[in-house]
Amino acid sequence: MRRPFVFAAATLLAACLLWPGWVGAFQSEGTVRIGGMWPLSGPAAFFGKAAYGLASLAVDEINEAGGLVVEGKRVKLALHAQDEACNAEQGLAVVKRLATVDKVIFSLGPGCSSVAEPVFGTLQKKLGDASDSGLQLLFFTDIATKFGLAKLSPWVFRNTPDEPAMYDFVVKYLKEKHPDLKTVMVSYESDFAHSAATWNLAVKPALERHKHHQIVEVVDWRWLDNEYGAQVTRLRKANADVYFSLTHTPSTCPSMLELKRQRVKPKMVIGITSLAGTEVLQQCPDVAAGIIAPSNFAPITPRAKQVADKAWERYKADSNIHSVPAYENVHLMKGLIEKAAIKNTEDTLLADRRKLRDQLAKVGTFQGVVGKITMRPEDDPVKPRDVDKDMILVQIKAAKWDVFWAPEHLKRN
Amino acid sequence: MGTALFDGTEQLINGLMYGCFYALVGGGFTLLFGVLRRFNLAYGSTIMAGAYAGLIPVYLFKAPVLVLFVTTIVVSVLVGLLVEFCCFRFLRKGHELAPLMTTIGMLIVIDETIVHLTDAVGLKYPAPFGDESLALGPFLIRPDYLAILVVSIACFSAIFWLMHRTRFGRAMRAVAERPEAAQILGVSVRRVNVLTFVLTSVMAGIIGFFAAVSVGSARPEMAAWLTGKGLVVMVLGGLGSFPGAILGGLALGVLEFEAVWFLGSSYRDILAFSILFLILMVRPGGLLGSRPA
Repeated sequence: MRRPFVFAAATLLAACLLWPGWVGAFQSEGTVRIGGMWPLSGPAAFFGKAAYGLASLAVDEINEAGGLVVEGKRVKLALHAQDEACNAEQGLAVVKRLATVDKVIFSLGPGCSSVAEPVFGTLQKKLGDASDSGLQLLFFTDIATKFGLAKLSPWVFRNTPDEPAMYDFVVKYLKEKHPDLKTVMVSYESDFAHSAATWNLAVKPALERHKHHQIVEVVDWRWLDNEYGAQVTRLRKANADVYFSLTHTPSTCPSMLELKRQRVKPKMVIGITSLAGTEVLQQCPDVAAGIIAPSNFAPITPRAKQVADKAWERYKADSNIHSVPAYENVHLMKGLIEKAAIKNTEDTLLADRRKLRDQLAKVGTFQGVVGKITMRPEDDPVKPRDVDKDMILVQIKAAKWDVFWAPEHLKRN
Repeated sequence: MGTALFDGTEQLINGLMYGCFYALVGGGFTLLFGVLRRFNLAYGSTIMAGAYAGLIPVYLFKAPVLVLFVTTIVVSVLVGLLVEFCCFRFLRKGHELAPLMTTIGMLIVIDETIVHLTDAVGLKYPAPFGDESLALGPFLIRPDYLAILVVSIACFSAIFWLMHRTRFGRAMRAVAERPEAAQILGVSVRRVNVLTFVLTSVMAGIIGFFAAVSVGSARPEMAAWLTGKGLVVMVLGGLGSFPGAILGGLALGVLEFEAVWFLGSSYRDILAFSILFLILMVRPGGLLGSRPA
């Protein structure tokens, strides 16, 4: 009775194990396989799905325009997305799959810094070092923002926000434009690497450097906490002028609601960079009204509006500070793959990855969706292989993100 | 009143009110365990499914909060019955650990279904009790916590009445104590099991409504959080003891609030679980659990 079932299960398992993941890839099949690892499930899926959508849009645009030319032949891009679920163990499994089963030439992602850190730790530390058995897989990261992650391996490049610079600007802006606002209170998520790093490595040093504001209260909670009463009572007692809410939407919304309940009304609220998306507008547009967030993206130019509309129309993907870089990265890499003279065969995969990496290292300045983006060189002492790009300040007004401040050259566009 | 004493008292009041919420969650787990003698780890996802489904009439027809509340309960009951059917009904006797796997599977399925349907975005929940705390003397009291207090007292009273004053309650206690003997005496064990699922699912609906109202949104991580808290309360109070679950919930609520206030949020779980550990060292059966013979 049970035999047919056991036989069917064994056959299915064998088929799964023996199925060559690279079928349909490489030059002979007319594709160049690229990868992406984002949180596509779990509580951070909002960010991952948005980045996946924007990357897919870029792939569509490239393929619809005829694909790319490799070795004189027109080939298409094929995107292979894997779910890292914002979980380090899963991320480590996924990176191996991308490198050895999917055999991608480069990967986008990861989404969560807490995944990126261990994943980048498995990559080769020194280029061309035969004794280093680390993975030789090129990453061009779009979301994982924690400062300094690209230093972990020469195979890591990032198009992510430069938070220390952004918050330095914010603090300087507050000091110059609102010198009367002198006291500061802060909240951050102690278990979320990005949030804690934003406080410790970006905001706190900026406040100390500019010597204008007095930090009167710092509270923390967990990313997925459900009760904020005690911490907000502390903020109420501190009664500071400026509130740095360095938390992500799942804890920003309920904590802002708690601020309202306890009648805490700071004169200005500054949010974390990740806040600048639609998630917060869907969850709590009323209590979040007035929050200002530094960002690299807002649909303020015709090109940016077009991309945001198209991504939403095709993939219901939110265009935000973390997802738009995935779109930019795919478009940039298309040109670099063509330039790198890769062979695009299974045998030359490692050499092709290295050629593409070296091309990316030489890229200098490239065009982003909103403005120009400059990749820092490998020997940069502060943030090698990270980018500098235009910064804007956006504010929630009437359930929408509105531009609070933008550089003159972007306003003119 | 000294500042520390005042602050401690304020957190005690908040902790007791929030503890009622934990007691409801733990109570649901305890009732299921008490009757079935098996863990239902999908109870948290039953709560979450109800909380999300309650929003459907609100988003589609701008339905009032009462409709949301009723929908939450109805859907929770349907999901609870689905869990009973898929994860418990066809499992053979003697496989007590099997429901651990079936209900974990169901938890993941429900959780991921909601993540895929909503793109993991929390959905805004109405605030039927207002957005501002009430000033009661020197203390600020959250109106939704006050509502939780009132509703939980009503729930606990109804459950005690049901358990001790009705035919179903007697059957439930009989099945909990000696299922074989109850069956010989004509009690339908399957019927009692199903009705217990209905009862705890009604509680799940109420819990889901208040869980979402208190944070202002229905969120996909609710299930894991509620499962964790529910299990802690159940063990702390004493496996299968409903009064124990109430006591355990209140204790956990107060401990958490005081820990966050005096030590910081990173010490909340350390303190709460250290005390849980100590209590279980002294009373392995939990606060009101039965001692081994």
